[in-house]
Amino acid sequence: MRFSVFVLPQPQSVPHLLLEKASNMQPSRREDLRLIQGAGHYTADWNQPGQLYGFVLRSPHAHADIVSLNIEPARAMPGVVRVMTFADTQAAGFKSLVGGVAPNVKGVGDSAMLKPFYPVLADKKVHYVGQAVAYVIAESAAVAQDATEAIEVEYNELPPVVTVEDAVAASAPQLHTEAPGNVAFVYQRGDAAAVEEAFKKAKYTSKIHLESQRLIVNPMEPRACLAVYHKEEDRYTLYSSSQGIVNMRNQVSTVTGIPQAKLEIVAEDVGGSFGIRSTPYPEYMASLLAAKELGRPIKWVGTRTDSFLSDYHGRALELNGEIAIDENGKFLAFRWDDRVDLGGYAGGNGAFIGTNNVTITCGGVYDVPALYARTRLIYTNTTPISAYRGAGRPDIAFAIERLVDQACHDHGFDPVELRRKNFVTPAQMPYKTAIGTNYDCGDFAAVMDDALAQADYAGYAARKAASEKAGKIRGIGFATFLEASGGGNTPSDQTAARFNAKGEVTIYCAAGASGQGHETTFVWLFAKELGVPEKGISYRASDSSMAVVGNGTGGSRTLLGQGSSFKLLAQKVIEKAKPHAAEALGASAGDVTYAEGKFSAGGKSVGLWELAQKLATSASAHPFDCGAEGTFGVTFPNGCHVAEVEFDPITGVAEIAAYAAVDDLGNVMQPTLVLGQVHGGVVQGAGQVFAEHAVYDRESGQFLTGSFMDYTMPRASMVPLAMKWRGHAVPTKSNLLGAKGVGESGCSGSLPALMNAVMNALRPYGVDNMQMPITAAKVWQALQENQGAGAERRAA
Amino acid sequence: MSKIEMTVNGKKVSGEAEDRTLLVNFLRDNLSLTGTHVGCDTSQCGCCTIHLNGEAVKSCTMLAAQAEGADIVTIEGMAKGEKLHPVQQAFTECHGLQCGFCTPGMIMTSAAILKQSPNPTEEEIVKGLHGNLCRCTGYVNIVKSVKRAAEIINSGG
Amino acid sequence: MYALSYQRAKSLEDAATLLAAEPEAKLMAGGQTLIPTLKARLAQPSHLVDLARVKELQGIELKGGVLSIGAMTRHFDVMSSPVVQKAIPGLANLASLIGDLQVRNRGTMGGSIANNDPAADYPAGVLAHNTTIVTNRREIAADDYFQGMFATALEEGEIIIRLDWPVPKQSAYSKFEHPASGYAMAGTCIAQLADGSVRVGVTGAGSSGAFRWTEAEEALAKSFSLKSLEGLKIDPENCLADLHAPAEYRAHLVGVMATRALQKML
Repeated sequence: MRFSVFVLPQPQSVPHLLLEKASNMQPSRREDLRLIQGAGHYTADWNQPGQLYGFVLRSPHAHADIVSLNIEPARAMPGVVRVMTFADTQAAGFKSLVGGVAPNVKGVGDSAMLKPFYPVLADKKVHYVGQAVAYVIAESAAVAQDATEAIEVEYNELPPVVTVEDAVAASAPQLHTEAPGNVAFVYQRGDAAAVEEAFKKAKYTSKIHLESQRLIVNPMEPRACLAVYHKEEDRYTLYSSSQGIVNMRNQVSTVTGIPQAKLEIVAEDVGGSFGIRSTPYPEYMASLLAAKELGRPIKWVGTRTDSFLSDYHGRALELNGEIAIDENGKFLAFRWDDRVDLGGYAGGNGAFIGTNNVTITCGGVYDVPALYARTRLIYTNTTPISAYRGAGRPDIAFAIERLVDQACHDHGFDPVELRRKNFVTPAQMPYKTAIGTNYDCGDFAAVMDDALAQADYAGYAARKAASEKAGKIRGIGFATFLEASGGGNTPSDQTAARFNAKGEVTIYCAAGASGQGHETTFVWLFAKELGVPEKGISYRASDSSMAVVGNGTGGSRTLLGQGSSFKLLAQKVIEKAKPHAAEALGASAGDVTYAEGKFSAGGKSVGLWELAQKLATSASAHPFDCGAEGTFGVTFPNGCHVAEVEFDPITGVAEIAAYAAVDDLGNVMQPTLVLGQVHGGVVQGAGQVFAEHAVYDRESGQFLTGSFMDYTMPRASMVPLAMKWRGHAVPTKSNLLGAKGVGESGCSGSLPALMNAVMNALRPYGVDNMQMPITAAKVWQALQENQGAGAERRAA
Repeated sequence: MSKIEMTVNGKKVSGEAEDRTLLVNFLRDNLSLTGTHVGCDTSQCGCCTIHLNGEAVKSCTMLAAQAEGADIVTIEGMAKGEKLHPVQQAFTECHGLQCGFCTPGMIMTSAAILKQSPNPTEEEIVKGLHGNLCRCTGYVNIVKSVKRAAEIINSGG
Repeated sequence: MYALSYQRAKSLEDAATLLAAEPEAKLMAGGQTLIPTLKARLAQPSHLVDLARVKELQGIELKGGVLSIGAMTRHFDVMSSPVVQKAIPGLANLASLIGDLQVRNRGTMGGSIANNDPAADYPAGVLAHNTTIVTNRREIAADDYFQGMFATALEEGEIIIRLDWPVPKQSAYSKFEHPASGYAMAGTCIAQLADGSVRVGVTGAGSSGAFRWTEAEEALAKSFSLKSLEGLKIDPENCLADLHAPAEYRAHLVGVMATRALQKML
């Protein structure tokens, strides 16, 4: 099904000629030629004739009643067309923004999650700094911003809580009447009694308290949207960056009541996502409403300040782990008691991360007979959280590996041998964990040995000595981790092929790329499966006019989901073409064989493209047009990352002195792109370890890190440029490619590896635990405070 | 509103804009040159980097009016005829971009680094990129791209 | 940014006239701090008077042991000028550490000094070198110029024309960057002046802007050696504290940066 009337404005043509004429050039990706020439089409690059501009008035308070709201002074300003408030969205029948756990997920005592209404524009109360209060629409963006300042809002400030600790205190102010004690949900998984029993039997126990601090996701492209209403057809188009149109369309429809069939979502190039673009934001819904009412397109382009305040934040978890070990060094049990800072409302995927994702692999790569995890989801006066690279997976991987290292330290176990002794072995595969997760394959000892060899773990003593000689403090750490990838909330991943009048083919899926290189990989995969060159094949994603559904990009899943489906699609095309080839060859279909782009029978052959061209007509359907779909299982990418860090004790400044990683990603399709994903993931992890932290003032609830002036982003200078990496494939059978996914493993490996290295460096100086980010100031202070303890430890 | 004239990518251009209009908005909105991006409000991210009279500047940190009469090159003007600029070529060869949003700024800054230092050390490259943020690549392949671009330029490419 | 009128001054006199004509007019040099401030709507000038094309504010000249640098000289020009590199290499180095490549191509010495951001780099250099700030009305000694965060001796309508840097025997600057913004979390500039006296200027750390570290000056005047700095400490009471670094850390860094600056000279 294709909407016939509306034609998208085409992105400006990219001179593909340049590729062929440029000397010695081997482009890594099909995407690159437009992006390196400034010819990409990000959301803010779209314009529509007659468009108006939106600007959001945001709450300056963390927690306040809205006593009165007077929009008239803004309405009266020249150039202002409309000012929208909660009343307008209510009149339009808007529902709550979507969030929280799925309805079938029950908590302790069969409880349901307590979910207050999350309005598109604030109703009587605001619950975090930056919450959308009103939406001004004007003839220019500057006028719209000018007008927001004229809106008169009288707030009655209420005491805020910005940490989980404060939110659950007996005297804490109540954010929502629906959630007594600010507790949204208490979730548990595993066997508490068996774990308790194991701890009673244990010879050794250790515990650790860890914070995976609140982060700002900060994709480089700020959020934006352009909403268009097509009156003649009573239909909408929403241009907005997204990770996948299906979820976006579902949720926009749920909130606004616009039927999905009347809603087209367009996303071409997307400037990074990392988890926060899978669901819609208030501006998108308000813009759609205004576009219909005013009969003009509405464009909203967020600033970086908007990103800091109103993009879903990431992480914000507290993890408390305990380990029980027997006299032989065998793990008996892990127990987790975690708390999740949801923010002011349940939005995005925050609750899913805080329940499922932090518990599904809470035994990691280890054979742990008893597991139990409880997580409490708490409301605070902060921006709601959702996914950030790994979405709970790096957090639990980090916690497990910090806990295991802590046990090694507490009881004198060798970190390599203790891990080796407790790995789930290949012979145990498929392995069902004590929490019920089924691992299909993996060879964790081999991956660890490979990584330690690559890192020259054995030669570390010499490097440490050299650092010491130079007056530096060096530490080494590693992590053997695993994560659950590939899950999705759409039952199958569909793909489609459409041939045009020239016999060329465009292939489609619903997942939205934001740098992963889908266009390159899927065209390559499809061509490879057909055994033909890539010429004549093009790719389009996020085209909601194609009735293709599937999961969005997330959970490292697109290659194994959509990729597998593209493989099927190629087979479908051959199947579809075969009877036509038989006819052309004058043979029976059963006698026709296909290889490398050619159908053959009886000594004659005809090319796939040749046939496609012959059969092409100007009519919309081509006989080869087809779709494919499949449902593909969860995978368990795993790896071992080894890090060395060096501190300057005089300033506390850290340097990542060495980094070597081995990942089992299953089969790798595009090694260059995979390595790029590893680099990016490792550095995002390094950013969390050493730099990034979204901080609120505990008293006022004000947001203290609202710009790049105060929120430290990783820069080129903090990166281990000589990072080593190699793959160690143990292919999975849970999808057609044997691939396990790469998007999140870099982060899942680097958080624990770097933090274990940090602690390895600092323990001899009297530091027993330190929460991220490990800033220079914090390290220097700790070294000052622990001078005595450190000297004693080093002497011992 | 004032009329502003300048030369952009070799062409004389002009446009009407409010005095408060930033150069980046003039390029994007008046001239439809949307390859120059806006990634922050505080002059930190470098996505908006262009060349003003041959030097890299952040076009979000100056008014369009300040560029009156200037000679400007944006990412759209880097390729010469049918040939990519060596820095553009190097970025794709070395997989120096993922989402591509920071890329125009990275390319403009990298070209400026190489103008100041045709054979830059790794340290010089890293220092030169201080005013450009990337969230996807971890910078590893960006640094590699700048080194590769130096090679291409120095070999007469 | 609020609406405003942009005006391009043709000469120093023109700049002064334009500035005087409107009570809410403001001068603009390179704009690298001003424009972000305006974008954040933290200031609302009615008029901006652009100094970029005022000839009197340009140029670098070495004459009689004084290096005169026009107020509109960009950081890039300071760092790359052979004249500056030869006369005061420590100053060229200081300029190379400001902001980033793009900012150095726009930001100016006069603009930085007029703004007097407590974490800007030049104020430490000006204090250490005993630089004279020359305006359209008078000459202001370094010690009289800085008057706390963002506060200077400049009067209404006064315009910095140039900075006169007495060429020292030697000088050096060392800076510890704020991890997020890249401004100085602590920056220390040490200059051994032509007469043998030593001055130490500190930026980034002080709770009331750039200041001279007189204890270090006295110690280094007695003996220009690393040993002289040992045990010297800034009082954290006088240092900035924020979420990035406590006052004690900034106080400590001032000393570390002093040591590292001195190491460059020994």
